[in-house]
Amino acid sequence: MLYNILTSYAMRRTGAAAVTMAAASVIIFAFIHLIPGDPTYVILGDGATPEQAEALRIKMGLDKPIFVQYVTWALNVIQGDLGNSLFFQAPVLEIIADGAETSLLLAGLTMIWVILIGIPIGMLAATRQGTTVDQTASGLAMFFASVPTFWVGLYLILIFAAWLGWLPSSGYPSIFEEGGLTNLRYLLLPSLALAAPNAALILRLTRASMLDVARQDYVRTARAKGIRPWQVTTRHIFRNALLAVVAAFGFTLAGLISEAVVTETVFALPGIGRLVVQSILRRDYPVIQGVILIIVMLYLVINLCVDLINRYLDPRVELE
Amino acid sequence: MNYTKLKALAFASVLLASAGANAETILRYATIGEPPSLDIQVGTATISSTISNHMFETLYAFDSTFTPQPHLAASDAVRDGGKTLVVTLRKGVKFHNGQELTAKDVEASLKRWGEHGSRGKLLLKSAVSIEATGDYEVTIKLEKPNGAWRNLLAFPNGGPVIYPASVMATAGAEPLAKENYIGTGPYKFGEWRPNRYVELVKFDGYSANPAPANGLAGKRDALADKIRFMPVPDVGTRVSGVQAGDYDYAENIPGDLFEGLSADKSVRIHLGGAPIFGLMFMNSKQGPLQANFKLRRAIQTALNKEEALRVSIGPETLWKANGSIYPKGSAWYSEAGIEAFSEGNAEKAKAMAKEAGYDGTPIKLLVSTNYQFHYDQAAVFTSQLAKAGINVQMIVVDWATLIKKRAQPDQWDIFFTHHGTVPDPVLLTPLNDTYPGWWTTPEKQALKDEFTGTSDKAARIKTWTKIQALMYQQVPAMKTGEIYAYNIASPKLKGLLEKTIFWPSLWGVTK
Repeated sequence: MLYNILTSYAMRRTGAAAVTMAAASVIIFAFIHLIPGDPTYVILGDGATPEQAEALRIKMGLDKPIFVQYVTWALNVIQGDLGNSLFFQAPVLEIIADGAETSLLLAGLTMIWVILIGIPIGMLAATRQGTTVDQTASGLAMFFASVPTFWVGLYLILIFAAWLGWLPSSGYPSIFEEGGLTNLRYLLLPSLALAAPNAALILRLTRASMLDVARQDYVRTARAKGIRPWQVTTRHIFRNALLAVVAAFGFTLAGLISEAVVTETVFALPGIGRLVVQSILRRDYPVIQGVILIIVMLYLVINLCVDLINRYLDPRVELE
Repeated sequence: MNYTKLKALAFASVLLASAGANAETILRYATIGEPPSLDIQVGTATISSTISNHMFETLYAFDSTFTPQPHLAASDAVRDGGKTLVVTLRKGVKFHNGQELTAKDVEASLKRWGEHGSRGKLLLKSAVSIEATGDYEVTIKLEKPNGAWRNLLAFPNGGPVIYPASVMATAGAEPLAKENYIGTGPYKFGEWRPNRYVELVKFDGYSANPAPANGLAGKRDALADKIRFMPVPDVGTRVSGVQAGDYDYAENIPGDLFEGLSADKSVRIHLGGAPIFGLMFMNSKQGPLQANFKLRRAIQTALNKEEALRVSIGPETLWKANGSIYPKGSAWYSEAGIEAFSEGNAEKAKAMAKEAGYDGTPIKLLVSTNYQFHYDQAAVFTSQLAKAGINVQMIVVDWATLIKKRAQPDQWDIFFTHHGTVPDPVLLTPLNDTYPGWWTTPEKQALKDEFTGTSDKAARIKTWTKIQALMYQQVPAMKTGEIYAYNIASPKLKGLLEKTIFWPSLWGVTK
């Protein structure tokens, strides 16, 4: 029964998502082409002649009316072809796929840190409310939530790469290349830097919602029934407090995509975030459009997943 | 995980990493960003030249005194008073595809460069014919002599690098595709992983120039097996990457880190041998500065360039407030007009502006934030001009926007860019009639004809002096001072040139 409700709900949401994507594609295309700028001189360099630039513009199809350019692009996208990068002369999908490996692994590792650090320490702080443990944890959380990730990143590089030499300072060779899974060590420092503010937020949220739930009547009842304290904490308090935390995971994960831009730049990671920023500077329209379209899609998927998981965790949640 | 385990893990990963490295030497070069196309006949981006210089070669190459020496060429003969140039090629030079270099390849490359190359028109606009007159002999016939010909054939940036005739047969105005990156250089094209690196691989069939290595000329020896150019846009990461040993070389390090890095034993400073210089172009097509040379001189008089250099660059070893377009020591160095370079006299400027009929119209200064020193200097100049009563309105954009706007004469009055040292003044953008700014006064054209019309070095230097004087009088573009960029290298690198020549070169280098 629950399964059926979830499936039909997911189907309806997918339909709505398609409409959102179509609207987003128009907006993305229009906005990107509204920014002034000229990719031809970026490709040819400052010394190029106007004739050269014009020839390249025609070759890249940038001389055609914007509407025609959109329709051509949109028709290709529907067939799964995001076009070719103006700058790299390579398929956008291939470039994004390569960047996606870095970004997904970085996001994955970051989420592991966030969960491993944020939730247990948050629980600890909540159960020891007011003690030194709580104050230290909350203080540190406040600190890491406030400092910018690039600052944390640069310090991590300085300490662990430049001084101690334990970990590589930057870059990331694919796990499918020489080195295999050991290449993940390249992502340790960046994922820690990226996890710092997010783990801090999850820590504070876990602590706050657990304290909130702990004041509920049913918790008092549970304690009065003589259930063991740790069982009350895990089954009654934590499980209910988790609802708010899972919702926060959704936007944390989605937020990672944009936050990763800074981290990827600081650690010279070949991820999606840096790719899109550099592509904007180069006016590599097909890459920008492709990446943003995929990010929009990711947001829609993540939102859907969060709603489904919430429904699963809490049967009272209504799926509209 | 406890400390011991962490250490063990780190040790294991170091072992794994070094196991791979023993097999071959890879030089890792951290660049400021991703290069655009590596076809440098049509492209002039600095970063492309840095990379492509290892793959493609020119008929001539610059030695350490910036004098062109035969490179793929073996010798030459100049006939008909400079109108006929006969270049004889070295024999036995191999392309990366195994073919031997012949005159046909040179003919095809020069023809494409003349038609579509960024700087090809400078030499070959007046070409009557370019012909392979033997297996190893090419003859270029010009309508009139061009004194800059060897310099133009030696400068690879937007220059006549030699590709196989088979590649040139289908090449047009647009940059070559990757599979056609075939040259004669000590390294050949390996792989381009967007966002990760461009990899060049040692070319085993390389036929080096027999002359001893001197600057970029003479023998080039690929010592490392591979060179990887990796985009690392953040400067802090480039620096700590070299300190940590993750990169062997990193380019474009800002002046404020110079003192710290000079004292740091984990890196070595590699100075640029030729400066770059800021240039502010005046709009000769439209607006208040169009033909008002008096007002332009008033602006010039108001500026204290030294102050701007100190603010924007920092340590004095890295800049020079030199008014000559060419640095001291260059054959083209001249003191003509340079007393007006950096007067910084607000009162005098105010009087000159009044005399020029300046009515307070805002002057639009277009500048980008992509290059920090452009913006810093422009901000200093704006405040200096305000003191002289000249109202400057800064339009701050990113580089890609600036490039678009500067092509539209109604969008700006002054725009800020910079220029690298070029071996011959004909390569300077202010001398290019179609470059935004569009300086095409009759006085300039007359001097330009005089300049290219002779091969006599002394006569050319004399005319160049007159052109520089005219640049201080008509102010088509203002030099804002010399900047000696520097890079850093791992102390383990052996064989680097004492200073870079135009761009860093990594042949002859190993670790």
